[in-house]
Amino acid sequence: MSKNPHVLQAMALHKRFGGVVAANAVDFSLMQGELRCVIGPNGAGKSTFFTLLCGIQKPDSGRILLNGHDVTKLEPFRRVRFGIGLTFQSNRTFRMMSVSENLETARRGSMAADALHFRMALVAFGLADKLDLPTSRLAHHEMQWLEICMALGRAPTVLLLDEPTAGMSPAETMRTADVLKELNRAGLAIVVVEHDIAFVRAVAQTVTVLHQGAVFAEGTVDEITAREDVRNIYLGKVRSAAQ
Amino acid sequence: MSVKMAAPILRSCLGRALAGPHDIGRTKPAWLAMALVAISFLSYPAIASSFSATNVAYYLLNIPMAFGLSLLWGYGGVLSFGQVAFFAVSGYVYGIVSGNFPDATWATWAGSLAGLAAAAALAAALGYFIFYARVAAWIVPILTLVLALLLNTFLGLTAGAQWTIGQVALGGYNGMTGIPAFQIGSFVFQDYAFYYLVLGVVLVSFVGLRAFVNSHRGQVLMAIREDVIRTELLGYDVRLEQLFVFVLAAVLSGISGLLYVQWGNYITPSVTSLQQAALPVIWVAVAGRDSLLAVAIVTFLLNQLSYILSSAGNQYALVIIGVFLVAVMLFAPEGIVLRLVRLAQRFRIRKTEVA
Repeated sequence: MSKNPHVLQAMALHKRFGGVVAANAVDFSLMQGELRCVIGPNGAGKSTFFTLLCGIQKPDSGRILLNGHDVTKLEPFRRVRFGIGLTFQSNRTFRMMSVSENLETARRGSMAADALHFRMALVAFGLADKLDLPTSRLAHHEMQWLEICMALGRAPTVLLLDEPTAGMSPAETMRTADVLKELNRAGLAIVVVEHDIAFVRAVAQTVTVLHQGAVFAEGTVDEITAREDVRNIYLGKVRSAAQ
Repeated sequence: MSVKMAAPILRSCLGRALAGPHDIGRTKPAWLAMALVAISFLSYPAIASSFSATNVAYYLLNIPMAFGLSLLWGYGGVLSFGQVAFFAVSGYVYGIVSGNFPDATWATWAGSLAGLAAAAALAAALGYFIFYARVAAWIVPILTLVLALLLNTFLGLTAGAQWTIGQVALGGYNGMTGIPAFQIGSFVFQDYAFYYLVLGVVLVSFVGLRAFVNSHRGQVLMAIREDVIRTELLGYDVRLEQLFVFVLAAVLSGISGLLYVQWGNYITPSVTSLQQAALPVIWVAVAGRDSLLAVAIVTFLLNQLSYILSSAGNQYALVIIGVFLVAVMLFAPEGIVLRLVRLAQRFRIRKTEVA
């Protein structure tokens, strides 16, 4: 497709809020067709990393490339047009609209082409027969699934999901994992921030561990979960692990 | 594609545009009632004196301004307290341009276009700074109110010969007089013709805006009202969409301003006073801000009420309207028309459940 094999690259991202360093020299790159999980304890900078990628926050320094385009200084909506789709940590579907209105809003009418992933997700999540319902009548996990479908409305090349399975039952979590793997096999690059290790085991090819705003480790699920220092930061032995 | 195949698609597009989900009055009886009301308005001059018809035209002419505020506030979530500023700018510019070419048949056309362009330009300039700076939503009503009051003060200071533009005097607090009626060729819109001009503008803007709120762009506007960041991260330039609606609302105010100066042939700075600035907000809030139909009905009725009260010498017209607003906000905060419609719907559902 393009010469650059990377869908998304972040180089030396720095972001400071007052005295807190929320992103410290974060390097991150995602290949085409990759499915990555980003994990880390609370306050590790996962959500900040997401807001930097989508443009809600601008980094103090560093660069972000999206399909080879430098998007570091672009407004969020332009990044979406360059191929980012994302969902937020808390569900932000439009509750005053019906399911189909949510999807129409995300789809720019019914005219947008090449929406393979969008259609796949709609069918796989079983939302196609709930189109006329008010969104506020959906169950929590269905709202999460709806927002994933909405994020696919503009046929993005990379999908960013911030804790998509928060509040879901184990069965719903596994169904989410299955659908994401299916989308990934159909060529979509996906980054998921997640706490649920069962989910991470089910989907991830590669795992990135963030800690205190910096990339702490990167590797396969087995490598990462076997590492003593990763376990330590999750158990709160922050100082000894960092040294 | 054959015509036969195209017809249902066309019907569904038109049907969606006019009877889509974003306004009340979508059922067959509602359409029938609207048609009856339109017909009775259209045939009203047959039984009315030209004086009465001109009065009714006055009750109607603020509806486009109210529509604009309904779009901006009800559908878009941005409250403006200064729609009268665009009303006044449009009216004054119309007076200046058309008054300077009293013998030219095109003068009132040029005046109308210049008036609307001036209102749009003012809104674009102010709106650019508001929306591109991503100013917090609660500041917008204050900024727009300040605009209206500044304009009020400025126009009050325009007494004297140095404020005569060409042959038209702005007139300070006494205002501008002798503003010509709209004309096409040698046909002047006065009396009954003016009534039909106003009625036509109101009907066309109602149908057009109803199609707009049911279009994709209208859908995006409602998405912005609900969640700005979610909408932006679906790929929409929220600043641009909000600026567009702000300018559209200003142009609609400008249309009301044009009709107003053609109705009375004068305009004074008092149209941008604090009292006048509050009125569109009251009409729209009392009606139910996210329904064009409700806004049209209530704007008509409240204008009629205040006209009748004040022409009967009643000093308390504004007080009565204000009490009305407080009562509606306390007992039917979604607007009186929307409350009634919802009650009727609930009643109908209960009846079908019983049957």
